[in-house]
Amino acid sequence: MRHHAEELAGKFPPLLVAAERVAATVSQGMHGRRRVGMGEAFWQFRPYQVTDSVRRIDWRRTARGDETYVRETEWEASQSVWLWRDSSPSMRFSSDRALPEKAVRTDLLVLALGALLVEAGERIALLGEGVPPRSGRTGLNLFANTLENARDSAASLPALESLPRHAVIVLVSDFMEPAADYAEIVGHYAAAGVSGFLLQVTDPAEEAFPFQGRIRFDGTESEASHLLRRADRVRDAYIEKLALHRAQLQDVCRTAGWFFARHVTTEPPEAALLKLYTAMTRQDG
Amino acid sequence: MLTFGALSFAAPWLLTGLIVLPAIWLLIRITPPAPRSVRFPAIRLLYGLQSPEETPDRTPWWLLLLRLLFAALVILALAKPLIGARQELVGSGPVVIVVDHGWAAAPGWSDRKAAALDLVERAERAGRAVALFPTAVSDSAAIERGGLMAPDDARTFINGLAPQPWPTAPAAAAEQIAAAPLGVPAAASVFWLADGVAEPEDRVLAARLAGFGSLTVYEGGESPLSLTARIGERNALTARLTRLAAGAEEIVNVRAVATDGRVLTRAVATFAEGEPVAETIVELPLELRNELARLELQDRPGAAAVALLDESFRRRPVGLVAGSGFQDSQPLLEEMFYLDRALAPFSEVSRGPLEDLLKRDISVIALPDTGLLPASEKSLLNDWIAAGGTLIRFAGPRLAAASLENRGLGESELLPVLLRGGDRALGGVLSWNSPAALAPFEGETPFADLPDYDNVLIYKQVLAEPSIELADRTWARLADGTPIVTAMARGDGRIVLFHTTANTDWSDLSLSGAFVEMLRRIVAVSAGVGEAAHDGTIPALETLNGFGQLGAPPASARPMALGAGTPPAIGPDHPPGYYGSELSRTAVNLGPAAADMLPLAQLPEGSRTASYGGGDELDLAPWGLTAAALLLLVDFIVTLVMRGLVPGVGNARTGATTAALLVAVLLSPGLTGMASAQTSSTMSEQERWIMRAALDTRLAYVITGDREVDEVSRSGLSSLSEILNRRTAVEPLEPMAVDVEVDELSLFPLLYWPITAAQTALTPNGEARLNLYMRNGGTIFFDTRDRIGASPGGAGPGLQRLRSLTRNLDIPALAPVPENHVLTKTFYLLDTFPGRYEGGRLYVEQGQGNTGSEVSPVIIGSHDWAGAWARSEDGFYRFPVVPGGELQREMAFRSGVNLVMYMLTGNYKADQVHVPAILERLGQ
Repeated sequence: MRHHAEELAGKFPPLLVAAERVAATVSQGMHGRRRVGMGEAFWQFRPYQVTDSVRRIDWRRTARGDETYVRETEWEASQSVWLWRDSSPSMRFSSDRALPEKAVRTDLLVLALGALLVEAGERIALLGEGVPPRSGRTGLNLFANTLENARDSAASLPALESLPRHAVIVLVSDFMEPAADYAEIVGHYAAAGVSGFLLQVTDPAEEAFPFQGRIRFDGTESEASHLLRRADRVRDAYIEKLALHRAQLQDVCRTAGWFFARHVTTEPPEAALLKLYTAMTRQDG
Repeated sequence: MLTFGALSFAAPWLLTGLIVLPAIWLLIRITPPAPRSVRFPAIRLLYGLQSPEETPDRTPWWLLLLRLLFAALVILALAKPLIGARQELVGSGPVVIVVDHGWAAAPGWSDRKAAALDLVERAERAGRAVALFPTAVSDSAAIERGGLMAPDDARTFINGLAPQPWPTAPAAAAEQIAAAPLGVPAAASVFWLADGVAEPEDRVLAARLAGFGSLTVYEGGESPLSLTARIGERNALTARLTRLAAGAEEIVNVRAVATDGRVLTRAVATFAEGEPVAETIVELPLELRNELARLELQDRPGAAAVALLDESFRRRPVGLVAGSGFQDSQPLLEEMFYLDRALAPFSEVSRGPLEDLLKRDISVIALPDTGLLPASEKSLLNDWIAAGGTLIRFAGPRLAAASLENRGLGESELLPVLLRGGDRALGGVLSWNSPAALAPFEGETPFADLPDYDNVLIYKQVLAEPSIELADRTWARLADGTPIVTAMARGDGRIVLFHTTANTDWSDLSLSGAFVEMLRRIVAVSAGVGEAAHDGTIPALETLNGFGQLGAPPASARPMALGAGTPPAIGPDHPPGYYGSELSRTAVNLGPAAADMLPLAQLPEGSRTASYGGGDELDLAPWGLTAAALLLLVDFIVTLVMRGLVPGVGNARTGATTAALLVAVLLSPGLTGMASAQTSSTMSEQERWIMRAALDTRLAYVITGDREVDEVSRSGLSSLSEILNRRTAVEPLEPMAVDVEVDELSLFPLLYWPITAAQTALTPNGEARLNLYMRNGGTIFFDTRDRIGASPGGAGPGLQRLRSLTRNLDIPALAPVPENHVLTKTFYLLDTFPGRYEGGRLYVEQGQGNTGSEVSPVIIGSHDWAGAWARSEDGFYRFPVVPGGELQREMAFRSGVNLVMYMLTGNYKADQVHVPAILERLGQ
């Protein structure tokens, strides 16, 4: 899974999430701050002052003239991204054996996105696990492990945590819970100044409702079962209802200024990743 | 029992169960099938949705039909349906079964047996006694007789019954039946399983049987064929087939079978429509005729369908009279050689003195050039010729000399014509005329159909005196008209004289195909042997059973008196088969006796007929139940599918996967088989070892178990190999280690075997392997390596170990390498064979001096040669030589080179001894 995800992420150029210039939530990373600070890249030489540590003197520059110079680097900062994916039983579903389960697809997408972010120098964490965001290869490993361990959590809604302002949150789920629940969550985070991206992952059967005849539908999360005598007769009503649900979700997002996209498991995962990629880079600036 | 045409029910009351079918129909119809169940995550969206119209849930009509069919099938099957149920037995007394089990019953015997068993079964069902009577019995022979018996006994009896190779004896059977206590007559049901062939006393039996009660005669079945073999015109083997009734056209294959059971050829005999007899010629090259043992009809079992062939059918045995004591001097020029080669392809040739030959069955005797015959032999030959023998004589220096001495020889000397004295040379230094060719064959002679042989030249011949008969007696002439082959009939036999030799002394004839063809014609026209009647009685050797298979004679078989003209009566006393002894067998065949068989005559009044094979009951109950079970299975699967419990039905991909899985499971034994075949096709470790050893010349050393010694052996032989590569034509590859107990030894010409104190004793297996290795030309080079440790005159530790080691090996007497031994000059000229140590001796097989013809199987020394040859990894010699000097090391290598050369070239170099003598001779 991990390997697959990285392979997928490898197809994209390093994704730089636009960092909002709020110092509180940002720490040293690769986004140049265009001012003096901790970092790798050269920023400027300046004359030595007595308070400066002798170790900071640039001897090469100093030898060229009479002045003693100190080398200053550009302050670099990175963004923290909290990722979350729905791992409830309703995600462990695929209508066809050839198709991956929704859960498998979401895991893949989340991990691929994580890999991309890490490559771009961002710090990532899984929302709701209480692990602080980490960057680099170790950060990705930690993230992958957390993802693996958190697979069986039955929560179909993300936890409400207090995140730093200007953090970024990515939610991947089928979003089949009532829209009001999601409105509450989005509202909570948006109020904290967090920007978010929602990706709805659905199975083709959920989209098209291809059933016929007398069928008893059983829920995946111990919902009451529902008997339909002629399933094909309710298809149009179902699709209408699904569209309504989705429209509500989109409304919620629009209000908060969040991004919403959908993905069906028959589509290649790259497509969904590309949607998120473009959305996250567009926010840059 | 309820019967509808062919169909009947044994338990008809169960059919009432069909009444409940409508009830079942109603019941199933109102119970809808369970809905399909589907897991669906977005179920929340479905709540509140309902189908716009509600149609009542019904079982689909086809499922309904399926289930009704299932119920109906079960009810019908339980009612025991039967097809072609047999009629009940009539009468009330015992069931009398009379079985013909003579030779004619062999075809279709299983049908007859089945019919008898069926009758027993029916009798048992009806609770009636069974009486069984086989008919091919005789008073004199102790053959199982029938009688009243329990049904189980009757079954055993029938199963043990086999057709006999003789005709039935209806009269004897009738008497038996009369003697049996069958209770009230006229109440019995009598069944006669007839074989269809009329016997003289059939009427007696039929009348007797009819007297017991209702008689049913089984007829039909496969009818028997009889086969007779004879030698027809032009010596052709003819098979004559007879059938019982002249019916439609019929084609039968006749097989010619050799003694060992091979089918030599097949001939097709065709019975024309309405013709009871068919004949065919079995064409067989003369070369194969001798191997022919029997003719038989394909797919027609029976003693009458087999014609055993004895000596009278065979090719003519030819005797070569072994001549005087000059025999083996020049075997390729001997007359006997040419005669043997010319006769062997088509006749059985035996050699020996005349008296011995005449004691055997011989049809032709070839007498190479002889002078006057002793009177005793002459009279013997005279009698033999008069009795039908053919004598072939050849002229030559001895005959010519004898005729010269006696001024001509005539018929009294067993010659076909009067000979002039002396011989006539054609061509030669002092002659004007040239060697004569053969004239084209003509006239009424056996040679008439031979082509011209213009490549035959006659250089010398004996001449016949002109006489009136000469022309008639001449079978072949030279181009100038002089007879070259003459013949005369005498008694039943014949004398043939070739006026030239049987070898190449006088002519080319014996090198030519003409010779072979002429001899072949002569042999072909000779009378066969074995037709002369044996007098007295001859015992049965091998006899046929009822199916025409040869086997040991039955206890009832008695010696047969072979009087002239009376054909042996075949019966239990004299079953058909081979009589006589292994050497002189006489075939007694049933075929001729069976050839005039007739169909069964009219049956007594009031008897019914039945046929074999027909009227088999077919019980439908198992089929019905099977079909019901299958329907149940189908219903089960359908229900599963309807409830959505079969994953991926309707999904072609899963279907394909399932099918592939199923196929894989079915094929898995085959796959594993292939897998194992694959593993076996890759070479095993041992095979690779053998290939390595066999494909190149390699030196080999024996693994002693002492690592250091083994390593020294390896590196020593390795550097010796290098020296050999560099200096000689021998190009050995890296040496190999050999475990004498396990490895294949025969791949190596030489085994270097250093003796260590640690050497484990040989197992008997290892000893046997080494013995075999030495016997087959291998050489073991024992190195005791104890030159230093040996006390003067005593045996060192290595030698002692060697002695105990080789106690059971087949080692010849040994001696020190003598001067001039081949070993001293196979490559280098050497006096001594130093190794790491100098002095001491090398031992080889005794008596193997200059002229020995074989390589000594054992060479024993104590010089530690491998030690002298061995180098360490960095190329330095491992051990110093004692007493020392590189010259000694070089000599050690030379010893090794000589040794290997000796092993590979044997005594070839011993011929060097003769070189001075040869040079001296050449110089003259």
